[in-house]
Amino acid sequence: MFVYYFPFIILVFASLLCVFKRDALAAFVSVLSSLIVSALSIVILLKPNVTAGYLFIDGFSKIMVVLISFIYLTTALFSITYLKHVEKPLLKKNFYFLYLNLFVLSMLFSVVVKNLGLIWVGIEATTITSALLVAIDNDKPAIESAWRYIIIVSVGLIMSLVGVVFVYGACHTLDITKIALLKSANYKLLLLGSVFVVTGFATKAGIFPLHTWLPDVHGRAIAPISAIFSSILLPVALFGVYRVLSSVGMDSLHLYAIVLGFLSVIFASIFLVNQKFYKRMFAYSSIENMGMILIGLALFNKYAFLGAVVLLVSHAFAKSSAFYSTGNVLNVYKTREVSKVKGMVERLPFTAYSLVFSALAVTGAPPFGTFLGELLIIYGIYIKFGLFWVLVLATFLVVAFMSVNYKVARMAFSSSEFDRVEKVRMSAFVPLLNVTVSFVIVFLIGFIEKILIAGMIK
Amino acid sequence: MKELFILVGFAEIVLVIFMQWQYYLKKIIVTFAISSLLIGLLLFMQGGFQNNVNLIILAVLTLLVRFLFIPYFMLNRLGKVYKEKNPKQVVSTGASIIISFLLVILAYVIYRLTLYRYISVEAGSIPIAIILQGIFLAISRNNAFVQLIGYMIMENSLFFMAGYMFPDLPFIVEAGILLDLLGLVMISGVVMKLREGSVSEVIDEFDEFRG
Repeated sequence: MFVYYFPFIILVFASLLCVFKRDALAAFVSVLSSLIVSALSIVILLKPNVTAGYLFIDGFSKIMVVLISFIYLTTALFSITYLKHVEKPLLKKNFYFLYLNLFVLSMLFSVVVKNLGLIWVGIEATTITSALLVAIDNDKPAIESAWRYIIIVSVGLIMSLVGVVFVYGACHTLDITKIALLKSANYKLLLLGSVFVVTGFATKAGIFPLHTWLPDVHGRAIAPISAIFSSILLPVALFGVYRVLSSVGMDSLHLYAIVLGFLSVIFASIFLVNQKFYKRMFAYSSIENMGMILIGLALFNKYAFLGAVVLLVSHAFAKSSAFYSTGNVLNVYKTREVSKVKGMVERLPFTAYSLVFSALAVTGAPPFGTFLGELLIIYGIYIKFGLFWVLVLATFLVVAFMSVNYKVARMAFSSSEFDRVEKVRMSAFVPLLNVTVSFVIVFLIGFIEKILIAGMIK
Repeated sequence: MKELFILVGFAEIVLVIFMQWQYYLKKIIVTFAISSLLIGLLLFMQGGFQNNVNLIILAVLTLLVRFLFIPYFMLNRLGKVYKEKNPKQVVSTGASIIISFLLVILAYVIYRLTLYRYISVEAGSIPIAIILQGIFLAISRNNAFVQLIGYMIMENSLFFMAGYMFPDLPFIVEAGILLDLLGLVMISGVVMKLREGSVSEVIDEFDEFRG
């Protein structure tokens, strides 16, 4: 049992060491902690599922733990070189790493507990631990976006808290394993509560209609924070939604979630067409991907579910790569506008290729895992709703694909008078590594399926 | 206990309406403290009546965090200028009071038409009315402090609702929620302080209303 708690102990210990005003120590401790937590996540992946005390670790939980740990590792590594470029940071480096460690701790907590109220506490704690990280750039837009993040997400989470109270009123328990097995409950109140919980958690996941905080935060936060937000924070919130959907197996609730997912894909695709800023563009791409994942989770057939998890994992690595790359672009070009970035291939060759490949990956191009994930979800939609809705969704996915890749290709391959300036440093290497992992996921689908099937609630 | 619940609920509604007509942030924060005090006392009495130790601990935590620490922290964070002057109101005072009353009626209608069938608690519309008023307070003032207080009023009403309707809600959940709120207020305090420089809506003509 101890191994399940060990990552938390490591993170608490690392956080405590970050309190000392030694920047190098904080960076070293955080990277070391992320390495140990990543290694432990692999050990946990191979261990049996657990339902004991407040813990509920099934196959999906294990995959989330691995994902959070590895993105934590790459973010800690990328941050070391990236923070040197932040001119007047809001926090000293040791506090940056302190909040980063606590942020990861709260996300890990959210995916391993079995009490719906505690899942809420964990997800709300991610807001507290990450709000100051959003404002690291310490300029007015960054601070304003941090405030928008706090207030919009908190209002969304209040909605889910209302839902949690209603769910308790209906079932007299918040244990998701017990809710799933309930034979008698106040079903109408349970449905109402679940709708509130789903809407609130979906706010944190950037799902339409309360997605408005997401482009602002991703647009203004520094690259490693945008990366960790997009690749694991949003999926952690969706994981909360999944826990509700899987324990409250009501068709109308699932349909509600599917509609939210559909609307997210549609609106994100439309907004992507006219996006002038590359970081915001990737933020809208995250909304589109979260919409697809939500559809996959809510469809609740084995193809769509597997597709959703594969998309979630592959997207996490690809999107973190995309955001790390945008950080490198911003450092050199000093602009967030797509039209002002030209000739990246000549000026920043490593970053240019990692950005091009990660853009292809996040828009679901083959041979990346995201392609297979989306394909499986679309197949799930075809089984349940038929060809018409598949065509509608596919149309918007194509729009998103064209919008993102056209803009990224223009940034990378247009001509420029500048010479090559990029040195091969950690900040250029990490995005390439992550986008490669996004491709490698294709070969792990059988393993992911095995892990998932071993631990489903129903 | 039912009569006490209705009495405290009514007082909570009146306190939020009182906040709507306040010109000074300091008074709004103090009013919030009083509103939290009432909820803490209600939880304490309910814990005493039901011999529920968890509820009593929760009541003590509520008093320490919501009644004492959060208002103290916010008053400390509040710059001198903002402590005494009111930022721009999006909705005029008169209109906001009328809207607040209408929200109470709306909450009653919504509750009777929908939730009452499933919950069957006579005065269940009170927490809903407070939630709606909290939302309205947040959007009716162009100021981060008031927006945060609006958010905390919504949380207060949920504590109020959970404490009365579902007193056996797991203690660890309620304590977790309380700790989260504490963290959120502290982080918000830092961000609000940073934002202070960019907020320029302080209106001098309200000087005569000071005190």
